[in-house]
Amino acid sequence: MCEIIATVLENKSIAEEIFSLTFATEEPIAVRAGQFVMLGVDGFPLRRPIAVCKAEKERITVCYRLKGEGTRRLASRYSRGEKISVLLPLGNGFFVTEQEKRVAVVGGGVGIFPLVSAIREYAESKEIYAYMGFRNRAAICMQYEMQRGKELVIATDDGSAGYRGTSVQAFMENIDRVKPHVVLACGPTPMLRALKNAVSGRNIPTYVSLEERMGCGVGACLVCACNLTNGLHARVCKDGPVFEIGEVTL
Amino acid sequence: MTDLRVTLCGVELKNPVIPASGTFGFGREFNEIYDISVLGGVATKGLTLEPRIGNPVPRIAESRGTILNAVGLQNPGVEHFIEHDLGWLRSKTRVIANVAGRKEGDYAKICERLDGLVDLIELNISCPNVKCGGMALGVKPENVESVTRIAKAALKTTPLIVKLSPNVESISANARAAERGGADCVSLVNTFTGMAIDIERRRPVLANNTGGVSGAGIKAIAVRMVYEAAHAVNIPVIGMGGITCAEDAVEFIMAGATAVQVGTQNFTDALACPKIIKGLEKWCAAHGVERVTDLIGAAKLN
Repeated sequence: MCEIIATVLENKSIAEEIFSLTFATEEPIAVRAGQFVMLGVDGFPLRRPIAVCKAEKERITVCYRLKGEGTRRLASRYSRGEKISVLLPLGNGFFVTEQEKRVAVVGGGVGIFPLVSAIREYAESKEIYAYMGFRNRAAICMQYEMQRGKELVIATDDGSAGYRGTSVQAFMENIDRVKPHVVLACGPTPMLRALKNAVSGRNIPTYVSLEERMGCGVGACLVCACNLTNGLHARVCKDGPVFEIGEVTL
Repeated sequence: MTDLRVTLCGVELKNPVIPASGTFGFGREFNEIYDISVLGGVATKGLTLEPRIGNPVPRIAESRGTILNAVGLQNPGVEHFIEHDLGWLRSKTRVIANVAGRKEGDYAKICERLDGLVDLIELNISCPNVKCGGMALGVKPENVESVTRIAKAALKTTPLIVKLSPNVESISANARAAERGGADCVSLVNTFTGMAIDIERRRPVLANNTGGVSGAGIKAIAVRMVYEAAHAVNIPVIGMGGITCAEDAVEFIMAGATAVQVGTQNFTDALACPKIIKGLEKWCAAHGVERVTDLIGAAKLN
């Protein structure tokens, strides 16, 4: 975990309201799939927590949605050559055991980006079955990266591309054929809730990556609490962002 | 080389920079980023007798130049802290245990428990984010005096800092009340009560509706309050509120603070505290200041 000044290599729109930012670090930094970074945006007291999409030694790519003033500033202010303060690598990341060979990834919205990092990490060693949901055809991005696995099903809410419906519906139509050993998921809370209901009783280890407003990003301030099913709280930034689905209240 | 050492109620700190309570946990996480033994001390996350789970999320929001938080004193309880974190933290730097309670008796018990185990105790009577206790005890001067007296009576060796709320009629009256109650030091300011509204949802951003405002945007108000408090009492003052750099720290010291706390800036820049310490040394050297203590209260009114 360190705070560095990185150099922006590229910061461009890759789909409607979605930007991809690639920065270079001076030294190579090891980032696991599912970990995130905190980007310092000039003029804003809080950093923006954003999942890592690709990490190749000194080159790290994160993708974000233009949501508020901070992300809009991030998109407009940081072009190639600019310096940006980054705190990284943060969080626990995804964890797949040696024995878990067939990996299903289920994503929706900006939740697809941390899953791209998982597909990249496990594409060689595992069979990856990906179910990725988008609002419509115009929102689809990173298709090339998502295709690295064994299977990719794109789902759109309006049916303008691929399967008509949600990524969870697309996954459940295939679950008995694919028989995944483990499921990795990230997306809006209603999507994760639907997944939790859909896989309950199936005894498949299922890990979800959560999103929460954060303060420090390193586990000190207790701002990004999530409720555990045992009544306690966990820190999304430090104990997560990846949790076993049965462990957290969604 | 400037002498950055300061002494707070008989406790020597290697420099006057202390991360503020609630922004730094018990120091372990930030110690993964830099060696926290460079710090003058650490003000711990607010401790209570029993573990607390805190408020629902969202617990944080941002406004221009400031943030709002409503964490609600989530902490593992004082016993857990003593068993798991205290020894480690003391091996690193001075420990300022920030303590809170629901009623006066809780403050007495927790002070008694920590007496002699920590370097300083900071009484949190100004947390705006918990329903009972916290700020309720920190608004009226008579309550400030009474809870201070009760806490002080429970302490045999450890000096007592009382952390003052800025959400009061007169900061100097409350500082004097703490001094009358037996405080060895006062720290200020805690956060200002505020609100941010999500205009799309037409609801407050924070689950708690209101939260404590902190960050660079409150600095000028905090400097004024530190000045007033420092000139109202004869005990040392710890200043805080929007400090982002060494120059800000100098400003608080010139207003009358012996030491400073840095809160929100730890979020903006995880290396804020070590940068401020280095910056203080530089500033003093550039201005021919041999001892940082020479700057305490150096600002004279026009």
